[in-house]
Amino acid sequence: MAFDLTIKFAGEGGEGVISAGDFTMRASTYLGLEVVTFKSFPAEIKGGYALSQVRMSDQKILSQGDGFQILFAFNGEAYEVNKPLLKPGTVLVWDGPEGGDFEPEFDWLEKIGVITYAVPMSKLAKEEVGAYITKNMVALGAASELFNIPIDVYKQQILSKFSKKGQDVVDLNFKALDAGINWAKNNIKKVDPYKLPERQPQKDIIILEGNEAIALGAAVAGCKVFAAYPITPATSIGNYLSEMILRVNGYVYQAEDEISSMAIVIGASFSGVKAMTATSGPGISLMQELIGLASMAEIPAVIVDVQRGGPSTGMPTKHDQADLYAAAIGGHGDGQRIVIAPTNVEENFYLTIEAFNLAERYQCPVLFLTDASLSLRAEAISTPNIEEIQSKLINRPLITKDMNVNIDEILRYKVTETGLSPMLAPGVSPKPYAATGLEHGEDSSPRTRPDIRKMMMEKRFRKLENIEEENQHLLEWDLGDLQEGEKADISVIAWGLTASITKEAIQRLRKKGYKIAALYPKLLYPVPAKAIEKVASMSDITLVPEANYTGQFARFIRMYTDVKPIQYNIYRGEPFIPAEIEAKIEELIGKPVNA
Amino acid sequence: MSYQFIKLEEKLQPKDYRSNIEPTWCPGCGDFGVVSGLAKVFSEEKFDPIALTIVSGIGCSSRLPLWMNVFGIHTCHGRAIPAAVGARLAKPEVPVLVTAGDGDLFSIGMEHFPHAARKNFDITVVCMDNRMYALTKNQQSPTSRTGYKGSLTPYGNIEEPINIIAFAIACGATFVAQTYSGNPKHEAEILQAAVEHKGFSFVNILSPCPTYNKIDTFQYYKGKTIDINKELGHDPSDYNKAVELAKHALDHDKDPNAKVPLGIFLKVEKPTFEDKVIALKEKYGASDNPDWNKIIERYKP
Repeated sequence: MAFDLTIKFAGEGGEGVISAGDFTMRASTYLGLEVVTFKSFPAEIKGGYALSQVRMSDQKILSQGDGFQILFAFNGEAYEVNKPLLKPGTVLVWDGPEGGDFEPEFDWLEKIGVITYAVPMSKLAKEEVGAYITKNMVALGAASELFNIPIDVYKQQILSKFSKKGQDVVDLNFKALDAGINWAKNNIKKVDPYKLPERQPQKDIIILEGNEAIALGAAVAGCKVFAAYPITPATSIGNYLSEMILRVNGYVYQAEDEISSMAIVIGASFSGVKAMTATSGPGISLMQELIGLASMAEIPAVIVDVQRGGPSTGMPTKHDQADLYAAAIGGHGDGQRIVIAPTNVEENFYLTIEAFNLAERYQCPVLFLTDASLSLRAEAISTPNIEEIQSKLINRPLITKDMNVNIDEILRYKVTETGLSPMLAPGVSPKPYAATGLEHGEDSSPRTRPDIRKMMMEKRFRKLENIEEENQHLLEWDLGDLQEGEKADISVIAWGLTASITKEAIQRLRKKGYKIAALYPKLLYPVPAKAIEKVASMSDITLVPEANYTGQFARFIRMYTDVKPIQYNIYRGEPFIPAEIEAKIEELIGKPVNA
Repeated sequence: MSYQFIKLEEKLQPKDYRSNIEPTWCPGCGDFGVVSGLAKVFSEEKFDPIALTIVSGIGCSSRLPLWMNVFGIHTCHGRAIPAAVGARLAKPEVPVLVTAGDGDLFSIGMEHFPHAARKNFDITVVCMDNRMYALTKNQQSPTSRTGYKGSLTPYGNIEEPINIIAFAIACGATFVAQTYSGNPKHEAEILQAAVEHKGFSFVNILSPCPTYNKIDTFQYYKGKTIDINKELGHDPSDYNKAVELAKHALDHDKDPNAKVPLGIFLKVEKPTFEDKVIALKEKYGASDNPDWNKIIERYKP
């Protein structure tokens, strides 16, 4: 049996729940384990329910999982919220027997087989350490003792996080760790089986959070101007990039709003450099007019949307997949846009680079749809080969002064078979042009003649006519051991974070004997109709799970194909768990195969 | 290290900066004078048409980049300044001008002006101020005088106009001037001084609309202007005096004896945003071919 353990820390925002999870994630990667984290906290700086969960395994992990084996409940609210998830054999470490704000229902817990360990985190922090804020470190001390988590990594993390604040602060945290260790040693008799394994040889990996992966991807892709306005949950992309981009000769610019962010991207890209912005739903709404300018004037632009619960201010820190309409068709007029979506942290990195490649290749805005959960999720990924990636970067077809080109024949919007025209930029090209949002002729001068309008409209749309065929690598097929021509029990199409969760559900179902054909499109718009029709043709029913109310991708599928998918929508501000999708698929297929 | 604008060895003729597209402006439009003035200044400055960008918004005057044989971005309504900021961040060696109208810059695009000004981006912002919206056929703008009759206010504007000279100074612009398209010589002088100023320069050009605005006309301005530098001896490095003069920039709206002040109100030297970015890049050892192993190292467990 593979090692697969999930530890969850839950409590009030500001109590160090998040760093407890982060430290534990570091400890498990130190041991050579795979990790996937899941964090959620309120939009407020202090207070409210917060959680940080670390899933670790010696195998590749696809999702945050269904639940946890070990819960650290820092307060009564954390206990109440997680009570329904306590299953036979799970461990509850709670803030007691004294000093906490609650007491678990021991009789009920014993009846269902939950193991309880009392660790007086608040009391020890206050009385023994002398600082309530070290409560999380008391918990980690106990965690280290109880579950064989390497204490040295916790200490290392304390050093790197608190050294700047002085030795006193470091010592205080060390003292809290010791208090937790000693309490567990002297007061708890371990009866659970959970224990982290011995350290395995280190793989060549790096650890990235979702938004960090986007920042690194942008730097590797050669982004020179990143303009953004602070907005949860996208702000941290700029935070991660601000110093890194200076090293690669770029600049992170804090704009006065999202409208100016998008205009800055257009001005910079027009001038010949790769540029990008990152925002969330409200910012996308504000950028719509200028995204239209990038479509009309054929200016490459990368726009990251870290989706959050909407509409309006909605739930700024919560998961949602409901900006697809806005990203794909949110602007006025018929414009060319490409929408792509990563399914995990690794793809946040690689698809950010891909977003730049697509923008440069097709000379249009590329919207990159990630989400609040993925933004905070940490994963260990294989160390990327930067040289190899950079050798494959796509750059726009600029006409430069040193080329032997007849200047009179240069037309910025030359009508071609592919719809793609040569590009020009100040300082490098031999001929200027004025980009405009007005309809224009091949030379960029404003035109409203019906024949020219028709010709230019068709030229711009021709660019994306074969985008599906040209980008098969943006369509991930998951057919298991399905043979050519063999009929599947069900077809499943999933995108974004939901795809990685669906993948885990499907793996489980295959072990039960189900035949499943799945497609995880990273290219969402233009809708990859051929692949969708193909996967749907492999069975009688097609399911599209999505974390939104209306089924935005399912409706695009109905719009662009003959497929009539069954929608499965959740909209509670949390991602799916694999068990939900597993159950839904079993329900749709009708009866368990092995029954 | 600082940046230097790309320049030509030999001077081109002003006409070399004009495109072969005929302006669609009405005959007698003040904006023709702005095109001639800019072309003359570009020639004097030896700017290279293929290393020069003019950015505009939407409106009659914002069509200007289309009539020029230089790089141009005709953006969305109000968005010229941030697009110009993007161009500056991308290529500091390429000079950037913004040419737009009073409605574009000070109504729909108002949020951008103060930030580009206080950050001291090395941009020249030229406002072609006809004191109303013309392309949408006569509505009041933020610079329209009280009582001005637009199609939405046939009874006369009940608002007070914004004093954009005082506003530009308050925003932290390091060069603030006003000129008049009916005085080509003064206009060219002021534009040249603005382009040569290292930092954010703002030039308000009184540019009458002969079609709709029957008050702020060439006839109105004739004999009513006063050169604050030559006639009043104003020294633009004197901030307090600049503020004092700016206070009275719109007096002529209500006082028939008051003059329309032209000239350079303010010119002070401050480091540009671009230079500060260059300094930061140097501090961080910026390179197009950085040591990626070193960058990746910090993500290792």
